[in-house]
Amino acid sequence: MTQRIVCIIAAAIVLAASAAAQENSTAAIAKAPRATDAHPDLSGIWAYSIDLPGVALKQEVNGSTSIKLIDQSGRRPAKGPVAGALPSTPAPSYKPEFQTKVKYLFDNEAKLDKVFFCGKPGIPRIGSPRQIIQLPKEVIFLYEDISGDPYRVIPTDGRPHRADADPSYYGDSIGHWDGDALVVDSTNFVEDTWFGEGGYFHTAAMHVTERLWRDGDNLVYQYTVDDPNVLTAPWTAPPRVVKPSNDPPEESPVCVEDDSKRMLNLDHHGQR
Amino acid sequence: MIFLAAGTAWAHHSPSSIFDMSTKFVLTGTLTQVEWVNPHIAVYIDAKKADGGVENWKFESAPPSWLRRVGVNSADFKKAIGQSVTVEGNRARDGSTYGFLQKITFADGNSLAMVNPNDVNTAH
Repeated sequence: MTQRIVCIIAAAIVLAASAAAQENSTAAIAKAPRATDAHPDLSGIWAYSIDLPGVALKQEVNGSTSIKLIDQSGRRPAKGPVAGALPSTPAPSYKPEFQTKVKYLFDNEAKLDKVFFCGKPGIPRIGSPRQIIQLPKEVIFLYEDISGDPYRVIPTDGRPHRADADPSYYGDSIGHWDGDALVVDSTNFVEDTWFGEGGYFHTAAMHVTERLWRDGDNLVYQYTVDDPNVLTAPWTAPPRVVKPSNDPPEESPVCVEDDSKRMLNLDHHGQR
Repeated sequence: MIFLAAGTAWAHHSPSSIFDMSTKFVLTGTLTQVEWVNPHIAVYIDAKKADGGVENWKFESAPPSWLRRVGVNSADFKKAIGQSVTVEGNRARDGSTYGFLQKITFADGNSLAMVNPNDVNTAH
């Protein structure tokens, strides 16, 4: 009986804490900095959120030892509820006739994933921008990536998608505000990329919708991928919470893949 | 020195697909070249063999973006070119003179090592 009371009290505390966290998070969105046009200001440098080794550096200099570890939380789905996030699922749902192909691609990722060979990841695989420059009629995303350092200039002035653009890795993007979230709508992609490491291939019909908003000091990034040719329904991935950073984007050194000829098995590489 | 367990998350490929992560080895030689490239930096070492010959070794290590974020840049390696260094790591399973560098100790005794964060408390 005593245990039951303890459990009930614990549950009540958890619920109260959860409600308080939700209120605090909603308040955090409201308190986020605003641009001159009253939209939330997403401008800033955001933490590098591409997979890096999950190891620490132990450095010994003149007899003293230091340990450094990188916070990669922005690379992973948020652990708790995120205010403003859309319902999400861990993985996309492919039509039955394509599931064998997805498994084959995933199983042979070490040979077939072009990102492994310094290829462009495209969106949404490249993840959240390293820097955002928000202007009244356009938003600029800057990235750091081993395939090069792409940028995207995203009009937010209400213009439609370009009709004359060639398909590309990062697509043709236009943005608009949905309440406090910047919504970036992208189409017109090449078919070379996967939208996730799990062999998530797509066709030229892929349509990506990214949502970015502030949660206090942090940036939240969430995306939805639709490709009616291969998916049973649009897939919304779990949100990621990206911390602000004092580490400005830098030009990425050239990428020279020199490992594939030595690989003796198909172990997954866990890139992103 | 704490070494990584096989299967530790890596940015490019699984280390075990190329290297024998169950066995470490130590090599001393002259640092001849540093390539600050993605997806892994590479260092080249000339090591003397027992018969007096020289063996050319290449070691890959962490990505530049990781090293930069833990405060290490190319100059920290390149300043040691021409000097003796000792590396600890894992040899490629194909038997070539290729390795996975987990620790490098420079001629002045200073060192850089990748350690498992779960072992940080015991790594001091």
